[in-house]
Amino acid sequence: MTDGDYDYLIKLLALGDSGVGKTTFLYRYTDNKFNPKFITTVGIDFREKRVVYTASNPNGTTTGKTFKVHLQLWDTAGQERFRSLTTAFFRDAMGFLLMFDLTSQQSFLNVRNWMSQLQANAYCENPDIVLVGNKADLSDQREVQEKQAKELADKYGIPYFETSAATGAEVDKTVITLLDLVMKRMEQCVDKPPAESANGNGATKLGDAQPVEKKCAC
Amino acid sequence: MDLSLLQALDRDRILEVLQRDKQLRIIEEDRVRRMKYELQELRRKGAKSFARQYGERTCARCQRPLGKFWNSGAVCRGCSHRICSKCRVVGGLDWKCTVCHAYREVKFRTGEWFLEEKAKKFPVITDKYETVGENLLRTYNVLSHISVVPPTPPPHLDHQFLNRSMDLKNSKPFTKSVENLMVSFTSHIRKISNSQNDVRDDLLTVASSRSGSDFSCVAQKSLSDTDINKCSRLFKVPSLPNLFKRSKDSDQEGSSTGAEEDTSFSSEYSGGKRGSTSSIGTDLSDTVTVSGELELALTYNTYTSCLEITVGSCRNLSYGDSKRRKCHPCVKLHVLPDKSGKMKTSGKRNTTSPVYNEVLKYDIERHLLFGKRLQASVWHSGTLKKKVFLGEVLIPLDGWTVEDKASEGFNWYPLCPKVCDGFTGHYSSD
Ligand SMILES: Nc1nc2c(ncn2[C@@H]2O[C@H](COP(=O)(O)OP(=O)(O)O)[C@@H](O)[C@H]2O)c(=O)[nH]1
Ligand SMILES: [Mg+2]
Ligand SMILES: [Zn+2]
Ligand SMILES: [Zn+2]
Repeated sequence: MTDGDYDYLIKLLALGDSGVGKTTFLYRYTDNKFNPKFITTVGIDFREKRVVYTASNPNGTTTGKTFKVHLQLWDTAGQERFRSLTTAFFRDAMGFLLMFDLTSQQSFLNVRNWMSQLQANAYCENPDIVLVGNKADLSDQREVQEKQAKELADKYGIPYFETSAATGAEVDKTVITLLDLVMKRMEQCVDKPPAESANGNGATKLGDAQPVEKKCAC
Repeated sequence: MDLSLLQALDRDRILEVLQRDKQLRIIEEDRVRRMKYELQELRRKGAKSFARQYGERTCARCQRPLGKFWNSGAVCRGCSHRICSKCRVVGGLDWKCTVCHAYREVKFRTGEWFLEEKAKKFPVITDKYETVGENLLRTYNVLSHISVVPPTPPPHLDHQFLNRSMDLKNSKPFTKSVENLMVSFTSHIRKISNSQNDVRDDLLTVASSRSGSDFSCVAQKSLSDTDINKCSRLFKVPSLPNLFKRSKDSDQEGSSTGAEEDTSFSSEYSGGKRGSTSSIGTDLSDTVTVSGELELALTYNTYTSCLEITVGSCRNLSYGDSKRRKCHPCVKLHVLPDKSGKMKTSGKRNTTSPVYNEVLKYDIERHLLFGKRLQASVWHSGTLKKKVFLGEVLIPLDGWTVEDKASEGFNWYPLCPKVCDGFTGHYSSD
């Protein structure tokens, strides 16, 4: 199904407690379908989607440049028995969808733990993350208030979205926001001035010091 | 993390996912290889062909002459080359030359930026970037039924992978075919990789204790050329950041030393006028300490049936004339064992980090490359037309029977002293 005709391969990963809707969310995003059956994810899985990404300027205006992006969306099992496996996969992802269930206070409280798991296992200390409160359609069962979640997201300095994998609300927007963050990060990483000039090439001529005479057993 | 702790059923599900991931990764690796190859092409085009006149001020990218006062070009912040106004790409406040711009672009698109960031937090222990999934798959040996054909071999060797494919290969009868060549090549690599670990340890100690500029001792430990290859392989640095490093003096390219110097010299020194201190003798105690590295890129051009060797640059060479601290280096190429295809770059003056960027071509049918080695040696042209040996690199050309775009990029090879296997008399420059 895949061919190499894309400009970027971007790897994102969804994490959060079991049952918050990660699998359903990704299925909605890639196939625009909803499957109300609960099928436990075994360890890890991934889905793929091609999207066209429009680059934007820092001020938000579009540059008109478009790129084909191949998204690899990793799905992880929230269960404890897979923990060491799933967290190991954190390091190969470029961005994260940290998900909780708006109808479960416990899943929200666990966001903190997931956050520290990320800090320890992701490719860097402060990777790009979007906080996602899912199952927004079940408003009568809501246990987590928007304000509460928003505050937490602000504390971490990350965006927050309330989504519904059942209706598809805000699903695309959430993923695209994360993609955008990753693309921006990419430029920052490459364009920041190099911290150290690797190896003694050029200006500082190491060779100027008289080469140490070495007698080798030849 | 260990998959064996999981139930068999779970494990199979996970391995299935990892297999799917592998399919995607194969496509991605191919795409990355293609991109890097295109970048090399771009860089090679920008390299000054050796037929061109040196000394003249030209744009490093399009070779158009630059004036002294008007249209004098400006130095690119990325590569320190002098660039005409047409070969610049403006991005943000700054501009970059076309090649540096392409380099940046490739860094994005290949995901190299991510690998570099990740390596800051999780230092790469093996000499290969590997995803967790890849690693798990490898440990579980589920590749064997897929990989009947040896994977594209260097720059990085996946030992287990190769060994596995070797076993499959060995069961077949040998035929004089390309496949045969591939098998030999793979076993060649296997030979190297078997003893790689201990050598590697030595190299690491040496490199860390002496700023990495002098590898000669390690290479001398054993004198077969496979050992030297081993050492050069280990020091191959195929990651992008090294592609565009330039020494400060890259802009002041000296004038050509003229080819006639060669012939007049050769008789002198193959004829055994050894012993004079500054020229190389067969007596190693008399030679200049070998240090530094040579940057080369090799491509086999199937259309013109020739091996194209791009001599990029050298760095940290020893002074050819250590008393007067002078160095006027040039690079000579030969194809061994028959020492055919003699070629040489222009000579540079007063530098221990010369930049050549010259493409030298060697006409040969591809299959004839098998069993041959490229000998690239660096020489200082002293006074009285004396040549001083500064070090050499031996590269097996067998690998070019296998299409491997990734290794066609520029690589740094540590210079080694001459091999003391009776070849000594042949190191003349003719
Ligand atoms: N109503 C509603 N149910 C959802 C939503 N997202 C997921 N679910 C249901 O929640 C259950 C768990 O979802 P699943 O994706 O398997 O959770 P995971 O363990 O995080 O992957 C399933 O029965 C889903 O149908 C949603 O947005 N709205
Ligand atoms: Mg799931
Ligand atoms: Zn130009
Ligand atoms: Zn440049």
